[in-house]
Amino acid sequence: MIAAMQSRVVWAGIVPVAAAALLACNEGLHPITCSGICGTVTFAGAVPESTQAVYVVAYHTFPHSRDSLFNFQPSLSSLHALPLNGVPYFYDISVEPGRYEWVLAVWVKQGFNLTNADSTLREAGYYRSPADTSQPGVVTLGGAPASSINFVVDFGHMHPPCHYYNPPCP
Amino acid sequence: MPVKRLLVLAWLVPISVAGAQGTRLIYGVVRDTIGQPIRAQVTDIRSGRGTTADGYGRYRLTVVAGTAVLRVGYVGFRSVVDTLTVAPGDSLEHDYRLEAAVVELQPTIVTAAKHSQLLDQSVTSVALVSDTDLARRAVSGVDEAVNKAPGVQFLNGQVNIRGSSGFVEGLGSRVLLLVDGVPANQGDRGGIDWDMVPVADVGRVEVVKGAGSALYGSAAFGGVVNLITHEIPVGFHGQLRATGGAYANPPYDAWQFRDYTGALGGVDATGSYGRETLRGSLTLGGRHSDGYREQDRSDQWETSGRAEWLPEPGARVTASGAWTSHQYQVFPTWCVPGACDTRGQALQPFMIDTSGRGSYTRSNKGYIAATLDRTSSSTFAWQARASWLRTHFTDVNPDDWSVANRVGGELRGVLHAGGGDDRVLTVGMEGARTGVTSDIFGDSGRVGDHTEFEIAPYWQVEQRLGRLRLTAGTRLDHVTVGGAEPTTVVSPRIGGVLTSALGTWRASVGRGFRAPTIAERYVTTRALGFQVVPNPDLRPETAWSFEIGNSGTFASWGRLDAALFWTEARELIEPAFIAVFDPVAQDTAAEIQIRNVSRARLRGLDASVAVTPVPSLTATLAYLYLDSRDLSLDTVLSFRPKHLVTLSTDYRWRSLSVGADFRYTSRIERIELESVFGLDPRVAARVLDLRAGWQQGPVSARLLVNNALNYLYNFVPRTLEPVRTVSVVATWTY
Repeated sequence: MIAAMQSRVVWAGIVPVAAAALLACNEGLHPITCSGICGTVTFAGAVPESTQAVYVVAYHTFPHSRDSLFNFQPSLSSLHALPLNGVPYFYDISVEPGRYEWVLAVWVKQGFNLTNADSTLREAGYYRSPADTSQPGVVTLGGAPASSINFVVDFGHMHPPCHYYNPPCP
Repeated sequence: MPVKRLLVLAWLVPISVAGAQGTRLIYGVVRDTIGQPIRAQVTDIRSGRGTTADGYGRYRLTVVAGTAVLRVGYVGFRSVVDTLTVAPGDSLEHDYRLEAAVVELQPTIVTAAKHSQLLDQSVTSVALVSDTDLARRAVSGVDEAVNKAPGVQFLNGQVNIRGSSGFVEGLGSRVLLLVDGVPANQGDRGGIDWDMVPVADVGRVEVVKGAGSALYGSAAFGGVVNLITHEIPVGFHGQLRATGGAYANPPYDAWQFRDYTGALGGVDATGSYGRETLRGSLTLGGRHSDGYREQDRSDQWETSGRAEWLPEPGARVTASGAWTSHQYQVFPTWCVPGACDTRGQALQPFMIDTSGRGSYTRSNKGYIAATLDRTSSSTFAWQARASWLRTHFTDVNPDDWSVANRVGGELRGVLHAGGGDDRVLTVGMEGARTGVTSDIFGDSGRVGDHTEFEIAPYWQVEQRLGRLRLTAGTRLDHVTVGGAEPTTVVSPRIGGVLTSALGTWRASVGRGFRAPTIAERYVTTRALGFQVVPNPDLRPETAWSFEIGNSGTFASWGRLDAALFWTEARELIEPAFIAVFDPVAQDTAAEIQIRNVSRARLRGLDASVAVTPVPSLTATLAYLYLDSRDLSLDTVLSFRPKHLVTLSTDYRWRSLSVGADFRYTSRIERIELESVFGLDPRVAARVLDLRAGWQQGPVSARLLVNNALNYLYNFVPRTLEPVRTVSVVATWTY
């Protein structure tokens, strides 16, 4: 009789609450912090109808030729498209430690492939040097991630890759 | 003046004489099986009149001479229903001894049929929050207690019964709030001020689920919540309650937002004095909270009073009122990149969007009500009441204000044919006038006035046929708002209750409706960067609500209640984007307007099981499964979680008690303005509340740890729900 009552107590009172408490562990909202380079992109201008996607990428060295155009990080398979609803967005890209000369948003036109990159890719905005906002800002990752790498994506002022080649396209 | 005095005296004297001639008193002591006094509720089932035993278990109740059927109950104990015969002019002493049994077999309710009845006679589901539940949780607000009722959930202060309301911030409620039967929804916005009544006054809460418009009209679209205040006992009584506590700081360094620990505290004092014929009580209270987020402080002062005159058995005149002044900072939305310095984070849920810095609200609200209850004979009773409800809020950033006055009245008669419950006829008429003066609900952004009139006759008949009890009723609401087309809505309901060996079966079908509020018709403001424009042509939203349920006991230590429900709603009133051509800019701009937009379906299962495996241990499990669809868009309805699980357990050992609540709410699948807020993180809610109590004579202390695991979550966009809060509540009762 007593054993039966103890069993009832355990099942009715203790087990459910303990199980519930376990369910609640390690869940809920938590900080979303940098794993590599992160910051906020804000948007300007109208999103072109031909837009396929916009990505944030980083170059160790500035791509002055078509040969180095695809030497960016993260890898193609790790790219995440930015939401294009006009609301400022917190981006976070996983990159290796090191020095990055150019962190930018790349606009991709519908129909993009590797052979037509010059006509279907655009620089849509980049992180600028705090000391000279006409120049790209250099981001260095040591042991800690780089946060607050904020910049504007301006769909009204986009440039093709060859704009930055040496020599630039006409 | 002398003439007026004479008139008053002429009215008073006959009643006083009748009262002196008709004193029929039942008194005694209520104890448990080991002789400890119980603050039991003693109710005359026929008249609905009752009293609460004092701290020594003593009760006194006046009844109509003849045969009286008393119910003596207290949560945690098996109720006793007793038939006593009291001779005219005589008194009767009768003591009661209650056996511990948490499974309450036959609670008496007053809301589902607008008269006193046993719970098992109700054709719709009713959830009860007893005074024991209120005391155990030592809640500081009524909403905290109602929130744990089966099938009920709050979304940032907006109550949902089986997913009725969803979330429309500050505009409209599909649940009707009553205070002792007096409608108390705001006159302008239609929402509910849960701080209207001090929690110290509330003795129990009845939650009637499903469309209740057949008796209660507009706003009872999804259900009714009735706050029933304490009976005033005979003699001097008082209670002093002090609360102190602290909020947990954010669990992550990255989310720290202040260098001190937020505190909360408050004091409530209640005093009452009662004699056989005259009783009164007064409550004063105040509380402060630093809040658990940035810009989240609040200060509240409240008072309430009640006077009762019982000139003779079967007659009671009640005057009651409450006033609350609440000043609180407004936490607009949490901070995301672009809205403040997020310190490299994707979100800062404890910090505000800086555009809302400095926002605060001063909200004053109160009501006065007078009620005359008269039991004319053993078969007929009637009630007349009048009430005045006033709300006045002033917002700063954005700056707006509104004053609403709602004056209402009701006359109701209840006929118990043959003196029993076999055939009961309820007939009544309810009316109200609401006046609103405001700059936000006024005249296209300027200060303006709007007036609304409502008149509504209703009837309901209950007939017992063997083991079957049938109920049918209808209410006709005629609503007129200045400048808009008058609206007439008919709300019928039929239902039945069948007692069987497999418990009590209930089934009902009824119509619900909600008339658009003055705020929904005339709001003019800006929200989320968009202009909100008025829509005076709004029509009422309507619904048909079906339910079939069963309740019963099992194994002598458990009780199960389950119901399948189905609601088909039409023309739901919700905000919608509209395209408006701007002739100046020669362009089309998006604006928000409240419109009749949606058809919706809400169906599911609402079940609860309560067990008492051993004396002094109780456990309840409640589960709500909600399948909600927006039939217009063929999507899930916004702000409706699919699963809601509530688990509660309490154990009492001598003067000590411990307990816990666990609430699981599944992740909300869809929200409004998905394009703006859809990328924000949303998680399921898993909240554990712990409590411990000690009581010795008139003194008690309770330790509460709400959200003990400091689980961080939100229901509505960018609004963090409360973090872990530790508080101690000390109570002295005389």
